[in-house]
Amino acid sequence: MITCQDCGSIHPEGALFCSECGYYLLKTAVQSTIVLPFSDFLHRPPPPPLSDFKPEPLPTPQIITFIIPSSRRRLEIEMTDQIRVGRTDAHSDFFPELDLTKDNGAELGVSRIHTVIQASGQGLVIVDLGSTNGTLLNNSSLLPQTPYPLKNGDEIRFGDMLVHILFQDNKS
Amino acid sequence: MTDDSDYYTILGVSQDATEAEIRDAFAGLLSRFPQGVGEQDDPAYAQILHAYKVLDDPDRRATYDSLLMDTAVSALNVTIQASRDQFPPSEAVQLIYLLVEILPPDANSKSHIPLNLSLVIDRSTSMSGERLNHVKSSLEFLIERLAPDDIISITSFSDRAEVVVPSQAVNNKNALLAKTRGIFTSGGTEIYQGLSAGVQQLRQVSISQHINHLILLTDGHTYGDADQCLQLAQQSARQNIGFSAFGIGTEWNDRFLDKLVAPSGGQSQYIETPIQIIEYLQKRIKGLGSIYARNLRLSLDFPESATSQFGFKLSPFAQPLTLNKQEVKLGNVESRLPLSFLLEMRIKPQKIGKRINIPLNFTADLPQQQNYTFKRQHQITIVKNAIQSPPPPDLIKAVRLLSMYRVNEKVQDDVDAGRLEAATKRMRHLTTRLLEVGQTRLAQQAHAEGERLATMGELSPEGRKKLKYGTRALLSQTIATLDLESE
Repeated sequence: MITCQDCGSIHPEGALFCSECGYYLLKTAVQSTIVLPFSDFLHRPPPPPLSDFKPEPLPTPQIITFIIPSSRRRLEIEMTDQIRVGRTDAHSDFFPELDLTKDNGAELGVSRIHTVIQASGQGLVIVDLGSTNGTLLNNSSLLPQTPYPLKNGDEIRFGDMLVHILFQDNKS
Repeated sequence: MTDDSDYYTILGVSQDATEAEIRDAFAGLLSRFPQGVGEQDDPAYAQILHAYKVLDDPDRRATYDSLLMDTAVSALNVTIQASRDQFPPSEAVQLIYLLVEILPPDANSKSHIPLNLSLVIDRSTSMSGERLNHVKSSLEFLIERLAPDDIISITSFSDRAEVVVPSQAVNNKNALLAKTRGIFTSGGTEIYQGLSAGVQQLRQVSISQHINHLILLTDGHTYGDADQCLQLAQQSARQNIGFSAFGIGTEWNDRFLDKLVAPSGGQSQYIETPIQIIEYLQKRIKGLGSIYARNLRLSLDFPESATSQFGFKLSPFAQPLTLNKQEVKLGNVESRLPLSFLLEMRIKPQKIGKRINIPLNFTADLPQQQNYTFKRQHQITIVKNAIQSPPPPDLIKAVRLLSMYRVNEKVQDDVDAGRLEAATKRMRHLTTRLLEVGQTRLAQQAHAEGERLATMGELSPEGRKKLKYGTRALLSQTIATLDLESE
């Protein structure tokens, strides 16, 4: 008998995925996200979300630069469709474009599937994907699954990890 | 072995010979040799003795049979990937997944069988405007592409049917097109009217010399004749008439259309916007036009220890399979694409040392031979320290995507049964699963539907269809296509 780690349902030996919630049952341990202690004294309410957001791939790839001060890393990622932010989970076949595993992501409260950055006609947009510890944009906590516009030089906090984002911003 | 012939030939028995027959044959052969002959004395004797030793032992015979099957030459190539081939002994039921792929011997083996096509078009009031216009321009496109020996008929229906173009070869394209322009919308949707008129048109020509297929285009629920439709689909499938069904917009019953195409292994598909009508029709006709083998079916006559629970076709298009009959209808094998499907099987509790053979016995109609049979099998051994090597990546991927499709189906079951809390929770899980595989758009759709469930206690009609056919479409992308024709 196999018990699903995600929803608790029981499955026969040999089952590969949970029939109730789709979770991969052969998973070996991936470090789970640390739930951070209460730390939102700095937070302001979120900026107004984009209401008519329609993601669309960029016609030509754009280079997005991420600076992670805590691990002194600077990354350049080419984006056409989307950049997912989180931690690699090979057993779920999940490989985010911006992988924060090596930056101590789990300890700093980064979820496996944390945030996605997408393009639209109105520029770059950030969406928190229901992460455990949430996403802050310039100290404003974002509502999950809601798109917010990004500006060049914005400060993003995935859980407790600070990341600066730099890109060619046509509007500024 | 010094000889190329197999053990059955050596003993002069058939491959399905009983143990007694094998023993008798062996005894008969022995009488030809002098008393007291040894293995060293006569190579022919040694060969017969060896063949008998293998075939007389059920375990060794089973292993030999599977070797023989793997090397057998057949008109269709079969590969099987299994999630495991060793099981530990267990008191409980265990699961195994088989990913089966069937291909013609080479990608260019094309047998041109002319098409006998019947298009059945919904002309109820809701089809008016853009929908019917796109249908008409798609018809134009199709007629242009048919070969001179193909047969076509076009039937339109609302609460009654009208044969717009009676069954005929495409000689005068312009005359046909002029007739299709005369389709106007009015009335309700009674699908049976259209189907029965469409099938009648197919029967105007010799069924045995064509690929016979009815394509239904509809945008509505049918009124009170669903059972009649399903009966007709079953009857027609027995006479080699296939059904495919395309639902336009959101006001049609997806489970009904799935059932309608199941008896013949046809395709059911959601068409989100009218502009896609042409794309799906074209693909379907292209598939029908490149058929290598017709009406592939898999016998479900499994040993008592193994039962098949669930099956899904992945390629050439993703489609649920019906496993409650004696055989599964897998549809046609196209010459350029593999036909692949996934089977989930339950294995009953087993003792150490036991071997279980899961036989996959196929039948298909080839142009030169009706009811051509071929077989393969997958063998499972029950050993104490079963090696748990990770399943093949292709198989994991297919099962992963299929499990998402099934979780979405369960959400719909939950909603239909009024279990809204369970449905909402499940939809949230599905959102995460979709994100894991990078399907951000579908995940956003799932998230929106989850919120809608939590606040309004229902799914939106378009969300329902988008998620069902969206997750289904992911499945058909798992198999690397061999489509050599670039367009």
